[in-house]
Amino acid sequence: MKKVLEGSHAVSEAVRLARVQVMSAYPITPQTHIVEALSEYCSNGAMNARFLCVESEHSAMAAVIGAASGGVRTFTATSSQGLALMHELLHWASAARLPIVMAEVNRALAPGWNIWMDQTDSLAQRDTGWIQLYCEDGQEVFDTTLQAFRLAEKVSLPVMVVLDAFFLSHTFEPVDVPDQDIVDGFLPPFLPRFELNTDNPFAIGQMAAPTIYMEMRHSIQKAMERVPGELDQVEQEFAATFNRRYGPMEAIHCDDAEVIMVVTGTAASTCRKVISDLRAINEQVGMLKLRMFRPFPTDLIRQVLGSAHKIAVIDRNFSFGVSGIFAQEVRAALCNYKGHPSVFGYIAGLGGRDVTPETLEEIYWKTKSTDKPDAESIWIGLNPYSSFQSRSNS
Amino acid sequence: MERMKKQNGTEDIPLFISRSNITTEINKTGSWRFARPKYDEKTSPCSAACPAGEDIARIQMLANQESFKEAVHTILIENPFPAVCGRVCFHPCETACNRTGFDEPIAIRCLERFLGDFAIQESMKLPPEKLPENGKSVCIVGAGPAGLAAGYFLTRLGYSCHIFEASSEPGGILRWGIPEYRLPVKILAREIERIKDFGVKINCNVPMSQNFLKETKSRYDAFFIACGYSRSMQMNIPGDQAASDGLEFLRHMRREEITPLTGTAAVVGGGNTAVDIARSLVRLGLNPIIVYRRRKQDMPAFKHEVEMARKEGVKILELFAPIQIEKTGGACFLTLQQMKISGAETSGGRAVVVPDGRVTQLRRVDHVFTAIGAEPTEPWQFPPEQGPETLHLGHCTFAHRDRPLMFGGDLTNPIKSVTDAIASGKQAAMALDAFFKKGWDANADRLAPYRVGSGPALSMESYLKGEHTSRNRHIVSYEEINTDYFSTAARVLSASLAVDESVHSFLETEETYTFDQAVEETYRCFKCGICDSCNNCRIFCPEVAVVFKDSRRVIDLNYCKGCGICVVECPRNAMALEMEI
Amino acid sequence: MHEIRFHGRGGQGTVVASVILAKAFFSAGHYVQTFPVFGLERRGAPVEAYLRLDKKKILVRSNVYTPDHVVVQDIKLLDNLDVTQGLKLGGSILINSRDVPDNLDTFSGFQLHFVDAVKIASDNDLGTRTNPIVNTAMIGAFARVMDMPPMETIHTAILEEIPVKANNNFQAAQQAYEEVHTFGLVD
Repeated sequence: MKKVLEGSHAVSEAVRLARVQVMSAYPITPQTHIVEALSEYCSNGAMNARFLCVESEHSAMAAVIGAASGGVRTFTATSSQGLALMHELLHWASAARLPIVMAEVNRALAPGWNIWMDQTDSLAQRDTGWIQLYCEDGQEVFDTTLQAFRLAEKVSLPVMVVLDAFFLSHTFEPVDVPDQDIVDGFLPPFLPRFELNTDNPFAIGQMAAPTIYMEMRHSIQKAMERVPGELDQVEQEFAATFNRRYGPMEAIHCDDAEVIMVVTGTAASTCRKVISDLRAINEQVGMLKLRMFRPFPTDLIRQVLGSAHKIAVIDRNFSFGVSGIFAQEVRAALCNYKGHPSVFGYIAGLGGRDVTPETLEEIYWKTKSTDKPDAESIWIGLNPYSSFQSRSNS
Repeated sequence: MERMKKQNGTEDIPLFISRSNITTEINKTGSWRFARPKYDEKTSPCSAACPAGEDIARIQMLANQESFKEAVHTILIENPFPAVCGRVCFHPCETACNRTGFDEPIAIRCLERFLGDFAIQESMKLPPEKLPENGKSVCIVGAGPAGLAAGYFLTRLGYSCHIFEASSEPGGILRWGIPEYRLPVKILAREIERIKDFGVKINCNVPMSQNFLKETKSRYDAFFIACGYSRSMQMNIPGDQAASDGLEFLRHMRREEITPLTGTAAVVGGGNTAVDIARSLVRLGLNPIIVYRRRKQDMPAFKHEVEMARKEGVKILELFAPIQIEKTGGACFLTLQQMKISGAETSGGRAVVVPDGRVTQLRRVDHVFTAIGAEPTEPWQFPPEQGPETLHLGHCTFAHRDRPLMFGGDLTNPIKSVTDAIASGKQAAMALDAFFKKGWDANADRLAPYRVGSGPALSMESYLKGEHTSRNRHIVSYEEINTDYFSTAARVLSASLAVDESVHSFLETEETYTFDQAVEETYRCFKCGICDSCNNCRIFCPEVAVVFKDSRRVIDLNYCKGCGICVVECPRNAMALEMEI
Repeated sequence: MHEIRFHGRGGQGTVVASVILAKAFFSAGHYVQTFPVFGLERRGAPVEAYLRLDKKKILVRSNVYTPDHVVVQDIKLLDNLDVTQGLKLGGSILINSRDVPDNLDTFSGFQLHFVDAVKIASDNDLGTRTNPIVNTAMIGAFARVMDMPPMETIHTAILEEIPVKANNNFQAAQQAYEEVHTFGLVD
C-alpha cells in the first residue's frame, strides 16, 4: 500500500519487514528517526528483535558483528561522525564476511559542525570492503534496503544503503510499503554459511600470517566481483514481486548525448527534470545515475560513457588534494579506454547547500561551452571568502 | 510463521576468512604456558616479629570478616593470653608492620585486646585440638606466663602437667608485678581459668627448693624451670636499707595492702618496673621522680609507658646514679653521682656510662624505691651455661641430665617480656615433645620447620599439622604489596581516660576497641601474604582460568596461559609465578 | 505543480502541518513531497517547511525558492523575515492574524488571507493561552484558500498524525475553514 512516508521511515519499514533479528545503533542526526522507529517496533512488538543500546557507534558495529557471527540478520544505521568512529570495525565486518546491512545518512563531517547533506562521510569508507548503494527517493530507499539483505547474504559481504540527509531522510513522499507475506516471498530467512555456535565452538578473526592474508583479501575481491551479477539476480526476483528495478546504474538519453551528467542521490532525481527540460529545447544531454559505488561498475561505465563526448560528474563530496571522489573513480574507469571522453569534475552542494535545477543547468551549459576542463575540479556557487567576513557562519 | 529457508545459490563464492577449522574446545590456552601461577601464602612481617608467632595477617582477615571466634581460635592456638598480651605486649609486630611504609602501622595490639576480651565475654574455651595423651608427665616450676604457657602447650601435645607455684595465686609477674591500671586482675584470672579448664593442674603455696625437685624427680618425666626473677637486686650503697624494694611495693599494691604514702619519691631504675612504680605512686598522690644512670632513650622500659608516665607528671632525671642514702627523720637525702657517656653498647646501642668526676647532687625525698633489676632467688634456678647435652634454644635452655631439664622464661629470655615468656613455654613444649619422639640428637633441627618466617618464633599450628602444611617462610616486604589497591587511612585510636582523670584511679587508662572500631582498623591491614578471597585473581584472569573447586580458588591449568596477571594483581603477594621450563 | 512554503517557529507544529497537508493531498490523488528546512532545532527558532503538489511524480528535490503559496503561523515573524520572498506574483499568503495586518504594502501583488488561529485554538482547547497550538487551524484555513484538499482527507490525516485530541484538532481545522478572511489581491 502506498503511503506518505518519511525517508527515514522507509528504511525502518523495510528493516521491520526484513524480520531483522538484532539491531544496534547510537543516535545521530539525521539518522535518528530511523532507529527511533525501530526501537519503538521492538518495544511494541511490531518486531521480534533485540535492539542493543550501546555507548558509541564503534560499539554498535561491534554488537552487530557479534550478532551476525552468531548467524542472525542484523542492521545498524549511522551518519557522518558516527560512521567515522565505526571505521575500524567496518573492516572487521567485511573481512569476517558478515552480511550486515547499514543505513548511512550522508551528512557533512565537522568542523565546522554541520548536520546537512554531504557525501564525504560514506565515500571516505570506500576501501573498507562494504558494498555501497546510493538512493534517489523514498521508494528506492525502501526497495534498496530490502534488496540489501538479500544481496549481502548471497555474497557474504556487508551493504551500506546510503541516503541524503534531509533531502531524503526527512522528506515525506508516497512510498509503496508491501505486506509482510509479500516481502517474505522475496526475502527468505538468513541462511548463514557459518555461525558461531556454543555446541561446536570455533574462532573467527584470529591471526592470519603473511602466508595466508593475501589470499583472504583476494577472496573478498572475488566476492565483490560477483556482486553485479548477484545484484542483477536479486533485482530480477525483486521486479518479479514488486515490478520495480534500479540496476547498478541508470543511463538516460546517453546514446546520442554530447554531454552526459553523472549524478548520485537526490541530485539524480532533480537531474531527471533538468534533462527533460533541456531535451525539450533540443539539447543533446544525457544523464548517468550511479547507484552502486562499491563495487564500482567499471564495465558498465565504459559501455555507457566510453564513446560519449563530454562527461560532467557532480560530486557532493571532496577528497582534499585531488578532486571529487566520483569524478576520480569515473576517470580511473575510463583512463585505459581508447579515445575516452573529457571528464569535467564539478563540486556542488557540500554541507547541505542546495543543488537546484538551476545548479545542474549551469553545469550543463558550462560543460557544453568548454572544450576541455580547465581544472580538475570546478566549484559551483562558490562565494568569495571576503563576503563572509562580517557575517556569522550560519 | 516458519518460513522455508531457501539456498542462495551462491555457495561457490569464495569465503576464505580467518577462522579455525576445528573446534576451539581443543584449543586449550594452557598449552601456551611457560610459567605457572600458584597460590602461595607467605609470612607477614608482623607474624615473624611476634615472639609467640601469632598468624596475625589471618587473624586480621578473620576479624575483618567479623569471624571473631575463628580469629580468637587462631590466636589461642599460639598464645593462650590474648587479653593479657593485648594490654601489656610491647607489640614488635607493629614495628615490623608493612603499613608503616604507606601511612601508619596497624594497631595490632588493640585488635588482640578486643579479641581477647571478646573471648572472655563469650566464655570461649581454648581450642580443643589435642594430641592423644602419651602418659608422660611434666613438672613445671613457676606459674608465671612461661610456666602457664608451657603447661598449656604440653597439655595440647598430650602431656600431663603439674605447675608448682610458691605464691598464693598463679600469674607470676602478671599477677604481682603489673599494676591494675595496665592489667586488671580479673582479666588475668579469666585467662588462667581457661588454662586450668584445659587440664593444666596448678598447685599454689608450694615453695620450691632443690630438695623438692629431688624428691619429685621419679614422679615426672621432665622438668621445666620458669620461676622468673623474684628477688630484687640491691644497690649496695651506703644507706640502701632505707630504700624500699620496688617489686615488693608492686606486690603489696596487687594485694591491695598498701599503707598510705605522701610526699615525694625517687624511683631508681629505668625498666618497666620503675615506670610501673612511678605511675602507681602518682595514683597514690605522690610526686615521683625516676632516677636513671643512663639517658632517657636508653631506658629499657617500653617507650609508650615512659611517655604515659611523663604525661601523668612523673619526672625523669637522667645520667644520675645514687651513691648514698641518708635517712634523717622522715626524709631521705639521696646523693646522686652525675654520669657521663663513655661509649655505646655493641648490641642495642645503649650508652655506656661512667661517673663524671666528682659532680654530685643531693636530693631530699620522702621515699626511695629501687627497681634496678631482679635475679633468681636460689642458685639452682640458674640455667647451666655450658656442659654436655646442654642446648640453648633461643627462648629456653635444654639440659639433658638423667631427666630432661628445661629452663625458660626470664631465666633464659634475652628480652624479658610477657610474650617472650609465652614463646619460651611454647618452645619448651615443642622441644620436649621432639626429644621424646626423636631423641636428643634430632632436637635442634626438629623445630626448624615450624619457625615463623626467619625469626625464633615457632608455630604450634604447623607443628600440630605436620611440616608439609607449613607456610612459605618468605616474609612479605612492603615493595611486594600492590598498594594500588589500598588507600591511606588514619589508625583507629581506642578511647582512653584523660590524664587528669587517670591519675586519680587505678582504672585502665585505655579502653578496648568497640566492635566497629575493631572492624574498621582491620580494613587498613594489607593482610600480607594471605589470601583474603578478594577475588582479584579471578576477576583479572583473561582466560577465566581461576575456578572454584570445593569453594576454594584453583587455577585451571588447561586454560591458564601463564600470563601472570593474577600474581601481579594480587594485592598482598599471596600468589607466586614459577617457571615451568 | 504547486509549491507551498510554511513559516513558523520550532515547537508550533509547522512540520506536522505540512505533513498532514501532504497526506491529505496524497489521499486526494496528488503526488506530494514535503520536507522541513532544518536549522537550529530549538523551541521558538524560525522554521520553514516546503510542500510540493503535482499531478505527476515530483522529481525536483531542492528547496522551494519561488512558492505559489505562503503560510505564516506566527505574525511576529513578519518583523524579521521577508515571508513573501520569491512568492510568485498573484500567489496567496495566509497569515495567522486577528485583523487585517498592518503594512499592507508588504503584500502588494499577492492574494491576502488571514485567520484568527489563536482564538480558534483557544476555542478548541488546544495548547495554552500563552502557547496555543495553531497548526491544525492553519491547515483548515489553507484548505479553504486553496479550495483543496477535501476536509475529510484532512480529517483522516489528522487522526493519523495527531492521535491526541484528534477531534479538537479537526474541529479547529473545520472552524478555521469557516472563519478564514479573504482580503483579496493587495494593490
